Amino acid sequence: MLRKRLIFTLIYSDGFFNQSRNFRLQKVGDINWLEKNYAFKKLAFSLDELIVLDASRGSRDIITFAKNLSRLVEDVFIPICAGGGIRCMEDAEVLFKNGADKIILNTIIYENKDLVGALIKKYGSQSIVASVDYKKNDVFVKNGAQKIEVKLHDYIDYINSLGVGEVYLNSMENDGTGFGYDLETAEKVAEIFSIPLIVAGGAGNGEHLSEGIASPWVNAVATANLFNFIGDGLPNARQEIISSKGNIAQWK
Amino acid sequence: MKIVVVDYGMGNIKSIVSVLKYLEVDEISVSNNPFEIASADKLILPGVGSFAMAMSNIKKLNLDKYLKDAVIVNKKPILGICLGMQLMGGSSTEDLHSFGLGFIQGSVNRFSAPSLKIPHIGFNQVKVNNNLKLFRGIDNVSDFYFVHSYKMMSEYDINQSICHYGNDFVSSYEVGNIAGVQFHPELSQTNGLKLLDNFIKYL
Repeated sequence: MLRKRLIFTLIYSDGFFNQSRNFRLQKVGDINWLEKNYAFKKLAFSLDELIVLDASRGSRDIITFAKNLSRLVEDVFIPICAGGGIRCMEDAEVLFKNGADKIILNTIIYENKDLVGALIKKYGSQSIVASVDYKKNDVFVKNGAQKIEVKLHDYIDYINSLGVGEVYLNSMENDGTGFGYDLETAEKVAEIFSIPLIVAGGAGNGEHLSEGIASPWVNAVATANLFNFIGDGLPNARQEIISSKGNIAQWK
Repeated sequence: MKIVVVDYGMGNIKSIVSVLKYLEVDEISVSNNPFEIASADKLILPGVGSFAMAMSNIKKLNLDKYLKDAVIVNKKPILGICLGMQLMGGSSTEDLHSFGLGFIQGSVNRFSAPSLKIPHIGFNQVKVNNNLKLFRGIDNVSDFYFVHSYKMMSEYDINQSICHYGNDFVSSYEVGNIAGVQFHPELSQTNGLKLLDNFIKYL
């Protein structure tokens, strides 16, 4: 049986990892802080995948981001998805060379269909994740700064036609609140979906993760909540899901 | 022990190399050079992406010939991972029709069951085949990480293990010195580390 996935999302911005709340970033610490407080090699044992997003608002420096990525994922033997600010083939290549198994795209999904097509052709659809930031029926790009004219339902239709491998559906309203996932929207969009769906935004505890995993519409749950899952937070949450017979992978 | 990871320009080789380092392999080389391949004790054929593009890259680099010498003539143990596993089969219908390296009997087709989400992504349960050296010490029905849209089937006895997604498909095979896994052992936590360690020690 195909298992559901538990994914941790790290939000990087200008050298720091951040807690996001309704898309406002709060600096938490740099990579040294992260290594000290999150013991990544150990933590990765509780995860199915890791997503690392560069949400730098100002000038982007993909090389520095890639260096951080490379250091972060050393001896971490799980799939790594990286992205944020990918605007050309070279950006993608830098991330793949520095430890990414997949890349996640947001703005160029809307703005540059040809580039998305070229990336799919080179790396395969299974390596490309489309990220969708939404608020009710509206879709936003550029780190949530720009509302686009296409409504959520039509946008999902459009993404389905692109040939990407997965969709990362992120609720901007629930982001960082710790109130739980917006599973209602997940259900609505899942009906027009032919590819795996990752839900993000709102998980504040293990129960929320379990609820997401139990939803028939959801293939993976993601959380970017650095505060709520610090220390043994994620290992405990995974154990909780397994104890409550959640459909999640086990290893010794 | 020298392991050469065959580089034909496709797939995340970094994660495979990190695992081999972690497992303390003496010498790890990422190469498409015929002398390197000839000097290897064991080979890993990785790969992610399109079958046809991979075969075209392999032929451009004459790797089909070098690999045949190493694997068929000199019987060096080889492990194909994901697309690498599929490439060692006879053919694929990805991008019309392409021929593979033909080291084992198997053909590759797209997942096609109705209402099935494609790609097949995530950990799935593999029915372990105890005849495979790769699975020594690994429990029956163990979770491994998959990410693929095409699957291999075989009518022949290629000593396979099976996984189910819509239909049964070949999740690994082992014929003499030739082994392949559809899943990614380098991304499959301790189950994957154990399997790669078995490849290094026993194949």
